[in-house]
Amino acid sequence: MPTDLEAENAGLLQFLYSCPAGLIEFTSTGAIGMVNPAAMGLLLPIAGRTFVTNLFDVMDGCAPELRNMVCNFGAAHGAICDGHRIVTGPGERPTVLACSIVRLTHDRHVATLSDVTEQVARERRLKQAETWFASLLDGVDNVAVLSLDADGRIDAVTPSAVRQTGFAERDLLGHPFESFDRPDRATATPPYGEAIAAARRDGWHLHEGWHARADGGRYWCQRLVAARAHVGDAVSGYTLVLRAVKRQGRDTADLRRMLTRDHLTGASNRAHFFEVAERELTRSRGNGGSLALIVLDIDHFKRVNDGHGHAAGDAVLREAARRCEAELRPEDVFARIGGEEFVAFVPGATLTEAAAVAERLRLSLAREPVDAGGTRLRITGSFGCSALDGHPDATVAGLLAAADGALYRAKRDGRDRVALSDAGRAAA
Amino acid sequence: MHTFEGISIDELESLEWERLDALPYGVVGLSPEGIVEIYNATEERLAGLSRDGVIGTHYFSSTAQCMNNFMVAQRFEDEPEIDAVIDYVLTLRMRPTPVRLRLMKAPKVDRRFILIQR
Repeated sequence: MPTDLEAENAGLLQFLYSCPAGLIEFTSTGAIGMVNPAAMGLLLPIAGRTFVTNLFDVMDGCAPELRNMVCNFGAAHGAICDGHRIVTGPGERPTVLACSIVRLTHDRHVATLSDVTEQVARERRLKQAETWFASLLDGVDNVAVLSLDADGRIDAVTPSAVRQTGFAERDLLGHPFESFDRPDRATATPPYGEAIAAARRDGWHLHEGWHARADGGRYWCQRLVAARAHVGDAVSGYTLVLRAVKRQGRDTADLRRMLTRDHLTGASNRAHFFEVAERELTRSRGNGGSLALIVLDIDHFKRVNDGHGHAAGDAVLREAARRCEAELRPEDVFARIGGEEFVAFVPGATLTEAAAVAERLRLSLAREPVDAGGTRLRITGSFGCSALDGHPDATVAGLLAAADGALYRAKRDGRDRVALSDAGRAAA
Repeated sequence: MHTFEGISIDELESLEWERLDALPYGVVGLSPEGIVEIYNATEERLAGLSRDGVIGTHYFSSTAQCMNNFMVAQRFEDEPEIDAVIDYVLTLRMRPTPVRLRLMKAPKVDRRFILIQR
């Protein structure tokens, strides 16, 4: 039978065996006197071998400072370090230990060692979240939130919106949110209803433009329209977020223009046209919508160049582009794809609708002569249209070829007219 | 016979308590969940613990945290069959003590064994 003392001893040992924190007793040179299992469990993987007798030797690779901290500690007794972090081993997620050391006498020290890897990871995540929220809150004065009903009329206003726009709640409630847009000629604004249509279809719509302030001024803002809780297929309403931002810098705008614009006419360039067209084609295929291409060629352009000089030719091209762009919507892309050949890319349009647009363009060219450096020149254009509803499987190149085929017929049939591609000639 | 290196897992299973206690090395038998079921007299002496306080506890979390790593405990989880002798350091009575461990696990036997030789 064990004596009381033996039983007590066993109880104490059990207590130390089961202690979840590592405990180590060591000399001033690091020789380990006593160590509990938790500490040994942490030291063994660091040592990489199963013979652990000196704490400083084990820690030499990852915490050589421990030796110095103990050596250079001047006092006869006291805390040498508290929660000193030790990052052990390489790898993407190294183990992190916290170490506290107390000097009992000049040659006797006790250390605690615990694995704080999880805690360190949590701290890092918290710090990231904190930074994120802090940056959000910094900008909170710039963000206004409003609620829209299913038709896009403002039905609730938060103080942030009143603060940002200067309008009182009664000035805003019941009005369509788009009536507070203040577009100018230099900035493209989606046509009325487009934002709501897009948000109903895709869940959201983002736009950047001028917005009205109560004092009659305007400010530049990013505008997000996000659809709220769908009931079946119906959208119950929208959330409108207005974020006052600094307008995109002039340098960026210039660079963008350089990369996407035709130098002479200011129309989009060929590369930009193909980029947009490919993107929109993929989108239209996804949602079953249509889109159309209108190819146009200035009639007898060679005669202008030969008879009146290249400067006059350039003026004709510039004016033709200006007139056509004025007839198109902001989301349409008008690009110069050849010498005197242009293309209008009309998202959402069927072949019939494209024909109507092309007719408008034709009239805008023929309506009045062009002022080409003092000479007034009559110009006309020939137009060929193709659309996705006629060629559901067509590629951009295929649609372009189909529109070119129609253009050829418009030329052959006497110019200054619109021709439509026929579905049978689909070039996919 | 019944040496540290020679004894088989079937023999360990069939030995009575008195015979296990008489072995010159520590014997620890664990359930598949890691609960101590066998703890012989030699191991009691080496560790300074009484069998009554150890049996029924979870070995790797209460008595042998120093084995709760990839070198020992994880091997019992990962490997279907083990019979390996490894050099190790235990903290018997809080003293770092070099030992040899024999880890034993067999497919047909539920119980796993750890033999400890000082």
